[in-house]
Amino acid sequence: MKRVSVDIGGTFTDCFVAWGGKFLQSKALTTYQNLALGFNEALQNACDELGVSMHELLSQVDSVRYATTLGTNALIERKGPRLGLLTTMGFRSSVPLARARGYGAGLSHKEQVDVPNAHRPDPIIPIPMILEVRERIDFAGDIFLALDEDDLRGKIRQLVDKGAEALVVVLANSVVNPAHELRVREIFLEEYPGHMLGAIPMLLSHQIVGRKGEYVRAMSTIMDGFLHQVMYHGLGTLELNLRNSGYDKPMLVNHNSGGMAQLNSTDALQTVHSGPVSGIAACEHLAADSGLGNVVATDMGGTSFDIGLVAEGGVKYYDFNPVIERWMVSVPMVHLVSLGAGGGSICSYDPVFKTVAVGPSSAGSDPGPACYDHGGLEPTVTDADLMLGYLDPQNYAGGNIKLNPRRSKNAIEEKLCDELDMDVIEASKLIKRTVDASMANGIAKELRTRGYEPEEFTVLAYGGNGPLHACGIANALGVKKILAPPFAAVFSAVGAGSTMQMHIHELNTWTVLFDANKKSFFSDYSQFNDNVAELERRGREDLLRQGFASEDISYRLELDMRYGNQRVQTAVVTELHRLNSQHDVLQLIGQFDKRYGERFGEGSQATEAGVRINTVRVCSFVDRPGIPFQDLAASSKPLAAPAPASQRACHFVGLDKPVPTPVYDQTALLPGTTIDGPAVVVTRATTYLVEPGWRFQAAAMGAVWFTRIAA
Amino acid sequence: MNEPKTAFDEQKIRDKFLEENQLFLSPDPAIMADHGFGPRSATEEAIFKKGMDPHLANEVRGRVLAALDESNTMIEQMGAAPGAKWGDMAAAIFTAQGDLSMIAPYGVFAFAGACHYPIKFIIKYWTNEPTVGVRDGDAFIHNDSRYGGIHNTDQSCIMPLFWKGRIIAWLSATIHEGENGSCEPGGMPAAAESKFDEGLKMSPFKFVENFKIRRDLLTFLQNSVRDPKLQSEDMKVKLHSVLRLRERVMRILEEFGEEALIGTLRKNLEDVDAEVRRRIRELPDGTTRVAVFPDSTLRENVLMKWSMAVTVKGEKMTLDMRGSSPEFLNRSINTNQASTKTLILSDYLQNIWPDLQPTSAVMAPVEILFDERSLLNGSFDVPQAMSLIPLFKAMTILTVPMAKFSYMLPHHYTAIAAPQYDQPATMIYGGLTQNNENVGNFCADINGNGQGGRNYCDGEHSLCPPFAAMCDIGEMEITEEELPMVRLGAFTLTKDRAGFGKFRGGSGYEQIVTSRRTGFWGFMTGCTGSVFTPTLGLFGGYGPPVYPLCKIRNVDIFEKLKTAPQNIKFDIIDLMNNRPVEGATYSTHDMGMTFELAKPGEVYMICQGAGGGYGDVLLRDPALVAKDLEEDLISPETARDIYKVVIDPATLVVDEAATQALRDAERRARIARGKPFDEFVKEWNTAEPPEHLPYFGSWDNPKVIYGMSGGQRVKMDSDKIVSMFMPNPKDMKIAELENELAQVRAQLAKLGV
Repeated sequence: MKRVSVDIGGTFTDCFVAWGGKFLQSKALTTYQNLALGFNEALQNACDELGVSMHELLSQVDSVRYATTLGTNALIERKGPRLGLLTTMGFRSSVPLARARGYGAGLSHKEQVDVPNAHRPDPIIPIPMILEVRERIDFAGDIFLALDEDDLRGKIRQLVDKGAEALVVVLANSVVNPAHELRVREIFLEEYPGHMLGAIPMLLSHQIVGRKGEYVRAMSTIMDGFLHQVMYHGLGTLELNLRNSGYDKPMLVNHNSGGMAQLNSTDALQTVHSGPVSGIAACEHLAADSGLGNVVATDMGGTSFDIGLVAEGGVKYYDFNPVIERWMVSVPMVHLVSLGAGGGSICSYDPVFKTVAVGPSSAGSDPGPACYDHGGLEPTVTDADLMLGYLDPQNYAGGNIKLNPRRSKNAIEEKLCDELDMDVIEASKLIKRTVDASMANGIAKELRTRGYEPEEFTVLAYGGNGPLHACGIANALGVKKILAPPFAAVFSAVGAGSTMQMHIHELNTWTVLFDANKKSFFSDYSQFNDNVAELERRGREDLLRQGFASEDISYRLELDMRYGNQRVQTAVVTELHRLNSQHDVLQLIGQFDKRYGERFGEGSQATEAGVRINTVRVCSFVDRPGIPFQDLAASSKPLAAPAPASQRACHFVGLDKPVPTPVYDQTALLPGTTIDGPAVVVTRATTYLVEPGWRFQAAAMGAVWFTRIAA
Repeated sequence: MNEPKTAFDEQKIRDKFLEENQLFLSPDPAIMADHGFGPRSATEEAIFKKGMDPHLANEVRGRVLAALDESNTMIEQMGAAPGAKWGDMAAAIFTAQGDLSMIAPYGVFAFAGACHYPIKFIIKYWTNEPTVGVRDGDAFIHNDSRYGGIHNTDQSCIMPLFWKGRIIAWLSATIHEGENGSCEPGGMPAAAESKFDEGLKMSPFKFVENFKIRRDLLTFLQNSVRDPKLQSEDMKVKLHSVLRLRERVMRILEEFGEEALIGTLRKNLEDVDAEVRRRIRELPDGTTRVAVFPDSTLRENVLMKWSMAVTVKGEKMTLDMRGSSPEFLNRSINTNQASTKTLILSDYLQNIWPDLQPTSAVMAPVEILFDERSLLNGSFDVPQAMSLIPLFKAMTILTVPMAKFSYMLPHHYTAIAAPQYDQPATMIYGGLTQNNENVGNFCADINGNGQGGRNYCDGEHSLCPPFAAMCDIGEMEITEEELPMVRLGAFTLTKDRAGFGKFRGGSGYEQIVTSRRTGFWGFMTGCTGSVFTPTLGLFGGYGPPVYPLCKIRNVDIFEKLKTAPQNIKFDIIDLMNNRPVEGATYSTHDMGMTFELAKPGEVYMICQGAGGGYGDVLLRDPALVAKDLEEDLISPETARDIYKVVIDPATLVVDEAATQALRDAERRARIARGKPFDEFVKEWNTAEPPEHLPYFGSWDNPKVIYGMSGGQRVKMDSDKIVSMFMPNPKDMKIAELENELAQVRAQLAKLGV
């Protein structure tokens, strides 16, 4: 396999190259002005290692794939066109009000409950750029107020006159009957034809989102319109760069749905958060290749701790209304939860409970932890890790950042020690204990609300601080095994190399499988089957357009089902792609009951209240091999630990005295190497902390197992 | 039997006899009066004697919080009631004595705070009652707010947590269910004239044995409400959420031991209590007063005083509510002291100290004084189905006095804000849906109250309800799919209807609703503030205006929209002023509308309200006034007449010089209008409320209470209040019409006709 996959992050552009049997990883700083520069630098590093030219490499690879957080940055910086919104009469303030709770979307719990200090984010579309259109369609698609075309022409003109650079159209119930939205575009094109100088794009909401929910659909469309330019400019530059460098195949872009597509088949919204989602895709692929079973993916970086789930058996966890930056949208995104716990999380004294509080504020990378010596005065998790002896001040982040322990000591002493009546080491241990417990609680909640127990899962720990806190999290979580995966430093890029070409199409539906009032079962099989067939057709066309053969395309049918009038919609993946009998309907209900019972507890099912399908979703995909992982099982023939590179005193939670701890270097990653804790392993990419009672076992491809060896 | 020797002995014998011969276990006054938390149990004392590690407690607290979060998430996801979907629910954990120790991160504090009372009732009366008992696997259901609670739409599942054969904690899950079989659909019957009109009144009783719901009791409850499906679904939801919580807490017990859990639950109370006392000590000693006036019983317009004097002395705070309106014997807007106190707890936690962990201890250092048989401390027999009317005010009333106490302190725990709009301005509905389901509930708009202006910026528009953060006003497309209502005006911010000020209050939005595809549908609104401003401003800011209910009836607007849509705008002011729907009957009312059947296409309109303004309007930055104008939040008239800002209507550019001149002139006019305080008092004060005013409560002296009963003014000593009896408005109307008829007949007779 020859393949290049890239994760363009906020700070670094990570590159992963599969070249025959070789795998290379490299990094370069992200270059916002021209993404190609950072990409070229990262790729050139890999080429240098392989001893091939970039042209030679790019002309031979089967694909180049990108995951990127570019969209998130553009949103934070509000870098996008001036948009105008046309919406149904009576709905003008839907977007500014953001369902009321929107003020807290994307914020920490502490900020959300501080209502007197609540602030909605600066809007993407200011109120004066939102105008109403005289029209209205009801829930079933019946037009009860015809579109007032004269009024519409005037409104379009007003927005254009106010400087709109793109128009977004969100009309009520357009997903059921798109006639008015389509007519709006026709009129817009009559007034402002595409060939006219300065013509501007118009986005119709029903073409972006297939689900009901006018606010979330509006935000999805707005975000798509807002990000379109910056994403396509950025990614277009990359594509051009690839063309000029010998790559003649379509460039592929990773989606937050866990799939990918060609650039011309990608909505901007689908790319947001695709970097972290690719990390989860890598976990899924790794779990399947290595037979790991259920996996929980954890990525502990500088500011956050991201958690994703990969369950065996094809159960998919999506957020249907994820929050992107500060807004709730409607897009099926692989479920990913982000906690405010990272190396940069600020630690403060809790005067009510007389203990330490960690996060949610973060020192970020600027000024960063106090030990970065960049002016940070607040103690952070990284400062505590440094005080406990886990980090080498001279060799942190591959030696790129020199740490100043004196700053850490001062910060912890000044902000915490007096109040806690502890010395610096005790306070640091308390910080570590607190942050590890907090991350463990986050993982536990994610698993348990879906009906799983942590011990049923293998925890994958990656990200800059993942392997450092893996044992601590495992202790708090009560699990006995953690895997630091191979290529952990560029894991999202690895994931980008393993995703499939996939398109998701959804249809909002009111399909009552069991009507509790009438005590009747669904029988309009052709309607259901036609809907599924139509969604499959759309997915097939997407993939045929990209050059795939019809026979290579597979479909996964997912049904969001619920009892009575519940809110929850449990996604049921079913092999029943068509319904042909009452038996099929009962089978579907049975499948839903089973999944629901697993999730919420046996006996919690409420079949007697009726069973309904709210959304039909078809994932159309082409299964192509991902990055081949070797057998990552720990070797049955353990290798003795190499000679430690050095030794230093480390402090551990639960032990009163410092423990002389051997420090190993990169050579400890030789497969089979077994080291019992306490130990520290420092590589170019990260630091592995092996706490007392834990064993480090290096596996193939640089993967590391942490196994509990003591109760 | 020995003869009693002393009066004390006699009393003991009497008490014992009465205890053994109770006819009916009504709410226990001792329980209802105690909003704090009790002394340490022997077990707790032993744990604290050994020493409770605060860091271990922190770890256990984190685990319990994660468990509560999980339980709450289950309620939200599984719940069928609209309230559960919008965040109107809570999971909580209590100590073995029934004191609230922790609540889920996104729960409604008041729900958990209110469960404290029924749990104490269960402990006191059912634990040793041979016909009931409390055993592992039991759970109790409860909704009657007379035993603790907000109102009877909220149903709780309460379960004891047994460990090694004894109860070491209590767990609860509560949802605002809505429909409860009351005389009007939706569970909040404004028309209730006695408690027997209120539908289900569940004193705490056992409905789960051996972890299973008893089908006979479930059937009884389903049989008592309009929506048996909802009743069944959500009883399961609450039970399974509590069971999940139980499972998690058992795991914590296995891992950390019972001492760690019991100690942590107790420590939460004691630490919060100490912190609240410290915060009260920070405040200057003294007294400050506030009064608010709900203006409707939902059957007639009246003025009911809620008087509050807040006194700080050392670490103690006293809220003196004596002198407030008397209770109403046949109106639904009464509440009881436990409910009032629970919502005041909510006020502290949402507006004053949002950083504090919600526990019973927040209120422990606060003494609260009531008159008996007052609106806020109603007796057992008065109806309380629309207790939300005073209770919404309970959730904001502290903001004004606490702002005065804390303004000059060097440290604030949150922003100082004028009160949020504090009424439930939402449509309540009932009937048969397009999906053939019988329903009765209310719309999510209750969650969109405008925020008050703040000490450094404007209030946010429609932000959240006063009882919880992060609630949802929903999506109309989803609502319309399930209900036959059509929102013509879904979300349009109101214009000129905010609390003006240096920093204005956030606005509410218009709700214009009609129905179609149903043969049986109706609406009600249970809201005050249509004749007397509902919300106070702060430090010179304006209160918001009053909000009416408007109707367009005897017409099918869908027909008109098909045949003559040209002039119809979905805008309340335009509809009411220009009356574009020909042939329709237009009317304006106060927002206290009892349930009324609506024909398809008839239109009902109300507004979600705005928060109070903060500071003097003349201090508002003219650029902010121009921004409000551009955003259509105010008219040019408001910019000029209220804010005294001159803006070019074409360019929206502020004329700085003209603005300064206009503001200077206004300041001079104010001085000219001014008069010495004593002179003002002399002119303004009257000995009694005006004769024509249906006034309830003290006028000046809090020991003298005014009211009207049977249509006549009454005056009572505050310790001898009697319940007010209101005539039926229909009888009044009939009498009025009969009177008119008699006059007409007399005139006709005079004319010899």
